[in-house]
Amino acid sequence: MSELVNTSTPQNWYLLLSTLLFSIGVMGVLIRRNAIIILMCIELMLNSVNLLLVSFSAYAGNTDGQVFVFFIMVVAAAEVAVGLALLVSIYRNLGSTDIDVLSKLKG
Amino acid sequence: MLAEILNLRKLIVPIVVLGLAVIFGLNLLDWNLNKSFFNDMLRVDNFSVAFGGLAIFATLLVLIMSGDYYQKEQGYISDFTAILIFILVGGLMMLSFANLTMLFLGVETLSIALYIMAGSRRFDIRSNEAGFKYFLMGSFASAFLLFGMALIFGTSGSFNIYAIAEYTANAQGNISPLFYTGMVLVIFAMLFKVSAAPFHFWAPDVYEGAPALITAYMSTLVKVVGFAALYKLLTVVFFYTSVKTGLILNIVAIATLLVGNLMALAQDNFKRLLAYSGISHAGYLMLLMMASQEQPTGALLFYGLGYVLSTLAAFAVAIPVFEAAGSEKIDAFNGLGKKQPLLAASLSMAMLGLAGIPPFVGFLGKYYIFTESLHAGFFYTTLIAIISSIIGVYYYFKVIVAMYGKPGNDQKVTFSFTYALVLALTLALSLYLGIRPGAILNIF
Amino acid sequence: MTSDIVFFLLAAISVFTALMVVFSKSPIYSVMWLIACFFSIAGHYVMLNAQFLAIVHIIVYAGAIMVLMLFTVMLLNLNKESEPHKSILSKSIGIITGGMLFLVLLAAMRSTQLGPYSAPETTDVGFVQKVGMKLFTDYLLPFEMTSVLFIAAMIGSVVLAKKERNI
Repeated sequence: MSELVNTSTPQNWYLLLSTLLFSIGVMGVLIRRNAIIILMCIELMLNSVNLLLVSFSAYAGNTDGQVFVFFIMVVAAAEVAVGLALLVSIYRNLGSTDIDVLSKLKG
Repeated sequence: MLAEILNLRKLIVPIVVLGLAVIFGLNLLDWNLNKSFFNDMLRVDNFSVAFGGLAIFATLLVLIMSGDYYQKEQGYISDFTAILIFILVGGLMMLSFANLTMLFLGVETLSIALYIMAGSRRFDIRSNEAGFKYFLMGSFASAFLLFGMALIFGTSGSFNIYAIAEYTANAQGNISPLFYTGMVLVIFAMLFKVSAAPFHFWAPDVYEGAPALITAYMSTLVKVVGFAALYKLLTVVFFYTSVKTGLILNIVAIATLLVGNLMALAQDNFKRLLAYSGISHAGYLMLLMMASQEQPTGALLFYGLGYVLSTLAAFAVAIPVFEAAGSEKIDAFNGLGKKQPLLAASLSMAMLGLAGIPPFVGFLGKYYIFTESLHAGFFYTTLIAIISSIIGVYYYFKVIVAMYGKPGNDQKVTFSFTYALVLALTLALSLYLGIRPGAILNIF
Repeated sequence: MTSDIVFFLLAAISVFTALMVVFSKSPIYSVMWLIACFFSIAGHYVMLNAQFLAIVHIIVYAGAIMVLMLFTVMLLNLNKESEPHKSILSKSIGIITGGMLFLVLLAAMRSTQLGPYSAPETTDVGFVQKVGMKLFTDYLLPFEMTSVLFIAAMIGSVVLAKKERNI
């Protein structure tokens, strides 16, 4: 089992990878207009955090990080459920999920 | 402390109110306890007891009103009551956390429940929009919070806030830049939750679209709890690294003060007006965050209490008026001074309290904040705060002028007992504290 | 080293699929790319000796969350490419902001040296037993609190997605 485990890759690479994924997620949230894709980009950001935590936890031999990842998954699931429920009720009233339609509140 | 969860089964408002009152008392018994629970997940100290008491009190007042507010939606009252209690649970977690895990879960419980409540008027498109906007922005900010926490964990090796503080104290001058990055991300995310200036843009929209009672709850409990959590982060976790945060907090405070007060001048919707007023109050509280090295906990609690009392009093008058007028514009108050002088006088008192006119609690709150921040040496920022609070008086008076100066229709506003109870409680307390501030200010 | 090669392969897949999530036109394709991205991240978890999390990750994300999203996309018939074209300006602002964030974080990272990998005393950090012990001793309270979170989310989604006007 332990031959499979990656010990030679420097930790900085994981840091780099998760930062890159996080930035891609931020970019997606900023440039897309479709609400459901924005939701997916937020999931992507959360996943990059998970990856970062797992790598920290593996390199420090500390299980706390993995437990935290657990909680992030729980919260992500709850968030998606609520978000999609809101989306459904918006769609029912407006017939669109484009966030530019959401401009009743301005001023 | 966490027995609130037991209230879920008791679904009727009076029982929940009674339960909360009992918990409020039990909470106060924990004074000077200073104990940690559940393997140092929660730590109950005077700070968490005091702010927890404030949070429970605000929830109590909102729940008293909710019975009448949701009269037309009886079928959902149990759901809404339960979610309000969940929001409180989240808030209490944010106050007594000793581990970043608890902070994160508290923030999320609070926010997810609030997204639901903001969007809970399902057939009102404005409420839907408010809920969804809040949801998108909130989860975006949560992702930043998490990234910051991950970096802090990676560099300090622990989620326990006291262990992190120890790490920063021991590694003076040798702290990894990643820690600072994480710290800045966490602070930004918390500033978003309390709607400080560069991150405030969601607040007016959400406050306007959400049901009025939820707006009252959001603008009081969430703001106070958010600031208390940020204060705890700054005074415990980031205490030894505060040199790096000072400038950021300073800029944010000035921007928040200016944006809040200047934008409020142009509003004609009452809820939007209160949203911007909430942003400007966040600016005054930011002054305390800047001075957090001096530990101005008493001033923070006093100002938070004053703000909660005045805002809830304003909403207790405004909600029945909105329902009678069918509009949430400031025009809805036209002629109230002639029709129902008592109601108008109460709202005037609430507005004067928010503006910070002497006999009320708001004035002393501002006074203590300015003293603390001058004491900490922020002369120019305090000057800007004083100037903007003078600007602030103008838009609060707009409401008072509408009530007394402008003619309106003769339609009477039905004002039920529960609203009157809340109004009497809040105004009496705010007058009492305005005269005898020592009761709250010096408890720490 | 083989593990390096595997790492780079997985990393390339993750970044590529993440970019495709952002840039593909139709929501359905985005969902599919996101699922691929999650699988590659699960691969990273296995590489990092977090087998248990890898399995949970696949079950929760690919199994539950993405199915929920896919279901919503299909249910609301969102698969048309109705997205209005945003101005080049706002698009480039988004890209520049994302890039800036990356560079800032990178700058913070460059100046750090994380200590070289020190083999922990135990290699079974990510096994079920270890994670379970931690979860149900030290982290018992947060674990219980997640149930509050879930109840709130559950009540909320039911209340929000209900169709009837009155009860």
